[in-house]
Amino acid sequence: MLIKPSINILVVENDITILQKCRELLVNEGHRVRTAEAVEEALDIVQKHPGDVDIMLLSLELPGWGGVTLINVLQKARSEILIMTMSANCGEEAIEAMQAGAYDCIRKTFTADRFRTKMNRAIEAFRLRRQLGLLTRQRQAALTEVGHDKIHFTILQSLSDGVVVTDWQTNIVLFNSKAASLFDLTQEKTLGHPISACIQSDELLSFFMRAIKADSSLAPVMAGEEPVVKVGEKALRVHVDPVKNETGTAIGAVCLLHDVTSISAMDKLRDDFLSMVSHELKAPLSSLLMQISVILDGLAGELTAKQSDLLGKAKEKTKGMITLVNDILDYRRIQEGKSIQKIENLDLAEVLKRTVELMRLSAEEKGITITRDIAEELPPFAGDRGGMEAIFVNLISNAIKYTPQGGNVTVTLNKAGKNIGLKVADNGIGIPPEDVDRIFEKFYRIKTEETRSISGSGLGLSIVKGVVDAHRGSIRVESEVGKGTSFIMSLPAQE
Amino acid sequence: MKKVLLVDDDVDFCEATKLLLDSKGYEVLLAHDGKEGLDKARAVKPDLVILDVMMPEMNGYDVCVVLKADPELKNTPVLLLTAVDQNLFKTTYTQAMGLMTEADDYIAKPVEPQDLVTRVEVWLNRD
Repeated sequence: MLIKPSINILVVENDITILQKCRELLVNEGHRVRTAEAVEEALDIVQKHPGDVDIMLLSLELPGWGGVTLINVLQKARSEILIMTMSANCGEEAIEAMQAGAYDCIRKTFTADRFRTKMNRAIEAFRLRRQLGLLTRQRQAALTEVGHDKIHFTILQSLSDGVVVTDWQTNIVLFNSKAASLFDLTQEKTLGHPISACIQSDELLSFFMRAIKADSSLAPVMAGEEPVVKVGEKALRVHVDPVKNETGTAIGAVCLLHDVTSISAMDKLRDDFLSMVSHELKAPLSSLLMQISVILDGLAGELTAKQSDLLGKAKEKTKGMITLVNDILDYRRIQEGKSIQKIENLDLAEVLKRTVELMRLSAEEKGITITRDIAEELPPFAGDRGGMEAIFVNLISNAIKYTPQGGNVTVTLNKAGKNIGLKVADNGIGIPPEDVDRIFEKFYRIKTEETRSISGSGLGLSIVKGVVDAHRGSIRVESEVGKGTSFIMSLPAQE
Repeated sequence: MKKVLLVDDDVDFCEATKLLLDSKGYEVLLAHDGKEGLDKARAVKPDLVILDVMMPEMNGYDVCVVLKADPELKNTPVLLLTAVDQNLFKTTYTQAMGLMTEADDYIAKPVEPQDLVTRVEVWLNRD
């Protein structure tokens, strides 16, 4: 038989008849009972015998101090004591008491059964609370021990990265000196205090919450996710992991903070530099392209055949340089994981149609026919418009580039199971088998007699691959030398 | 003859583009900075404004805002031209400036001359 440990109950009541009745009923249930006839006496017992009072059965009709005042005092000083109240009719005063923290109210006109039922419920509530409190303390103890372990603490102190450990309620239980210097933390103001009070960053707090409550509805911390969080002037690369006990329960979270403020500043500098270069290169190239074009069109006077020929080549070279500048900028962005600028609901058919129309001119100049086969009904898709345009432009312009005069390029967009399928097929020169595996590598270009005259940066397909990956899609290539090449891409549709 | 106002601080680009658009039968007026562009727009009431974004003194965004706030010019289509990284431009432009509804179209520089002509034709023949 399971013997439940007895509960220590303090009955506070100045009506001796009721006091005796309560004591009798509780003792019969096997509980240890103390009694007090006034508030001061009750407080005295609580103070002198800490841990000896589990439940206080308190009359709300005592002379002197109001019961509610006592409840308030106890809630602050000894919150582990469960307070049960008694009054003649459990009216306003009982409600007030419960608002102050009392568990329930028993009418003094109680029957023995009624009393037992009410008290048993209170005892059950007390036991639950105690268990919860015990768990909390265990969890806290497990983590606080880490801080007391000298060797570990010394190792933590010598790390050049900041370390902050919280318990499961995001109270800080441990931090090292680097973290202290990052956030101006002091021992007294930090240990045991909630992280939100010590470090002003909602973002950081949310990472802790996510790590601790990995099993909850909050999105869990993703593997490899190391976001940069701005805290004041500092840029910190943050890595938060749950701290688990032997049963696998998250008892807290540990956060590694790597100061990347200077790197961020460098990034900014590089971005500024690149956008400056981008402008400084593109502006003159714009002029060059326009100037050459108008001369070629004869708008600046008649041209000889030789002049046309030479200028035509100059125009091609200029366009090649423009592509190179664009590719380098695109590639940099994809390297930084910025290939997805903004996810929005996209009508892929519309984006593809526009791109095809844009490319049609350069295809026709080369005597190549573009055919498009776009399914009427496509599953909904969300992605980055710029990224999708980059994919379409790169695949189609490649197909045009590597297909001889009079060839065909077919663009197909359709539903492929749960995905959206895109296929760009040409009947061009094809890719040698030994090169197929490497075509998505950056700067990789196939060097044959036929490709020598074709300009390119070798970045186009690695850009395509970057964007496809960022959208969790896949891309593969089928090719036969002399017959043609197909790029087959699959993008996940929206669920 | 339809009037096109081209505002760009790159004089060479302006000269060549003027030749191109002249040949298509448009009257092309040039301005080389934002302020001059605004003054000319108010004086000649062009049918279309092509506006470079990166200009000293007053940039294209700001010129566009003023144009669109002018009751006499607010219906004149404005085509923004930019050499700024295209995707970067799109996001900063739409997010920070919130102007996508203000300007009518934008073209990334360098622009294929034929593309520019097509866009100009589209905007001038839309009625």
